[in-house]
Amino acid sequence: MTNAAMRRAQLEALVEAQGGCRATPPLLLDADPYFDLAGEEFGRRLLLTTDLTGAEYCLRPDFTLPIVADYIAQGAGEPAAFSYLGPIFRQRSNGPAEFDQAGIELLAQPDGDIALDQVLTFARAALSLYGVTPQVKLGGVGMFETLLQQADMPDAWRSRIRHRFGHTEAMDRLLSRLEQAPDLKRSEQPSRDDLIEDVTARMVSAGLSLSDSRTPDEIADRYLEQQALDDAHVPAATLKLLRDYLSIKGDALSALRQAEALAEKHRLFLGPPMKAIRRHLDGLGEARVSFDASFSPRLDYYTGIVFEMRGQGGTVLVSGGQYDRLLERLGAKAPIAASGCALWVDRLEAEWPK
Amino acid sequence: MTITLAVPSKGRLEELTRDWFAQRGLTITRPGGARSYLGAIEGLPEITVRFFPASEIARELIRGSIDLGVTGRDLIHETSESGPASVSFARDLQFGHADVVIAVPEAWIDVTHMHDLADVASDFRSRHGRWLRVATKYITITRQHFANAGIAEYRIVESLGATEAAPASGVADIVVDITSTGSTLAANGLRVLEDGVMLKSEANLIVSKTADWSPARQAQLDDLLGRLGS
Repeated sequence: MTNAAMRRAQLEALVEAQGGCRATPPLLLDADPYFDLAGEEFGRRLLLTTDLTGAEYCLRPDFTLPIVADYIAQGAGEPAAFSYLGPIFRQRSNGPAEFDQAGIELLAQPDGDIALDQVLTFARAALSLYGVTPQVKLGGVGMFETLLQQADMPDAWRSRIRHRFGHTEAMDRLLSRLEQAPDLKRSEQPSRDDLIEDVTARMVSAGLSLSDSRTPDEIADRYLEQQALDDAHVPAATLKLLRDYLSIKGDALSALRQAEALAEKHRLFLGPPMKAIRRHLDGLGEARVSFDASFSPRLDYYTGIVFEMRGQGGTVLVSGGQYDRLLERLGAKAPIAASGCALWVDRLEAEWPK
Repeated sequence: MTITLAVPSKGRLEELTRDWFAQRGLTITRPGGARSYLGAIEGLPEITVRFFPASEIARELIRGSIDLGVTGRDLIHETSESGPASVSFARDLQFGHADVVIAVPEAWIDVTHMHDLADVASDFRSRHGRWLRVATKYITITRQHFANAGIAEYRIVESLGATEAAPASGVADIVVDITSTGSTLAANGLRVLEDGVMLKSEANLIVSKTADWSPARQAQLDDLLGRLGS
C-alpha cells in the first residue's frame, strides 16, 4: 500500500471509530434548502442541475445539511453522532470541483462543552495522521454576543451590530457610520398614521400588493425607527469598546487576557464564555493556539466557540465549532445543541512532507 | 496569421460600432449582408471580422477564442467572476452608456442606501417567511456586489425581460437592472438607491488576455489599436 493510500485508510478507520452512525447522504440533493440556509453567497458555489419539471438540484456541497435535515425528519431530540468521509462538489477558482471531505456532527449532546472537546480531539487525531501540528484559531461567537448584550447602547442597534459580526468590512462601515452620526436636529416627524397612508397610496399607485411583500405598517415603523435610531446615538465609549474588542487577536492566552482587561475596564462580565474557551485551550496540547475576537463564519446559526486549524502554508485544513441555532433554522421545533467540523482531505494530503 | 475582431451582429450596436470604426478610417464590410457572420476590414487582410451576439462576444473574449471585440462592459462582469481579469478594456466607444443599478419600490421610504437594504434583508425572513427576492438578469454582478455590502440573506429570481415589472407582479421585492436614464424604473414606481450604482457600463473595444498573443500577433494588434487612436 502506498503511503497516501495508507493514510487514507487510517482516516477512514478514524471516521468509522467515532462511535456514531456513518452517514452517506445522496450525491444529488434538492438545491433549495442550501439557498434557504446560506443564501446566494453560498449558492454561487453550488454545481446545479435541473430535472424535467425545472426543479433545481445540486451535487452534494457539504454533509452537514443533509445529515441534520435527515435527523430532524426522523424526529429530533435524541442525542446522536454522525461521521462522514466522501466527495463533495463546489465551484472553486482553482482546483477541481470535486473533492473529499471528512467530519463529524454531534447533535443534542447533553453537554455542549464535552461535545466540542470530542470534535477538537477528532480534528487533532485526523491531522496527526498526516503529520500536521496545526495552528489553531479560535473565535468566540458566544463571547461577542455576551459583550454586545451588556454594552451600553440603544437596544435597536444590538441586532444590527450582531448581524455584521464576521464580516470585517461591513462591521467597519457600520461602526464608522455610527462614529460620524450627525448631530442634526430633526424636523418634526409625521405621525405613524400619516406615514402609513402615504406609503399605502404610493404602493397602490405602483400596483404593489399591500401584503405579499413589505407592508405599509412595516415600512412606516422602520422609517420612524430609523429616525429614532439616528437620534439614539451609540455612546462613543461603546464604539471604542467594540473597536478595541474586535481588534484583539494573537496568542490565545494573552489575547484572552486583553479581552478580560477590556471587559473589566468597561465593567462587563464575560465569565462563562471566557471560561469555556480557557477550558478548551488545555485540551489542544502542543498546537499553537490563537484567539481572534472578530473571527466568525458569516452564518448566523453559529454560537459558542468556532475554530479553524491551519497547516504550514496557512491553508485551512479543518473548520468547525458550535452551531446551536442550525437545527431550528432547518425546522426543528426547539433549540438543539450541535457541534462538528469538516476536514479538507486533499489539503491534508498535500501537507504530508514530500 | 490573422487576428479576430468580433462585432455585435445586429441592431443599433452593430451600426454604432461600424460608424465608430469608420470615423477612424476603418471600413468594416459584411459582404453577405445581415445573414452573414463573416466580414473584413478594408485594406487590413490580417484582420478577420466575425459578427456575434454581444453576450457571446463577452464569453468568447474571456475564453480567449476571439482576440478582440466590441461589447458592453456589463457583459464582461456578468459572464464570469473572472471576466474583468481575463480581458483589458482598450477603448471606451462613447456609446451604450448605462448603469447597472439596484432599485427598490418608491414606497419604501425607509430604504435609501445599501445599509438600509442590509437591515431589511436581515429580518425579512422572520417577518415574511421567505427571503428577500431580487429580480435580475445580472446574477454574477448582484452576488458580488451584495457580498461586498455584507448582504447574504436574499434570493435571486432570474429575470430575462421586463425586470422592472417584477415587484408589481409579485415575482420579486426589488430589482437589479440596467438603465441609462432611470425613466423606465421611475415609470414603474422604482427608485435607485443613493449608493445603488453597481457598475457603470459602456460599449468598449475589449482585448482578450487569454488569447494566444505571439509576438507577431501582438504586433498586428498594436498596429490596429494604433490606427484607432487613443
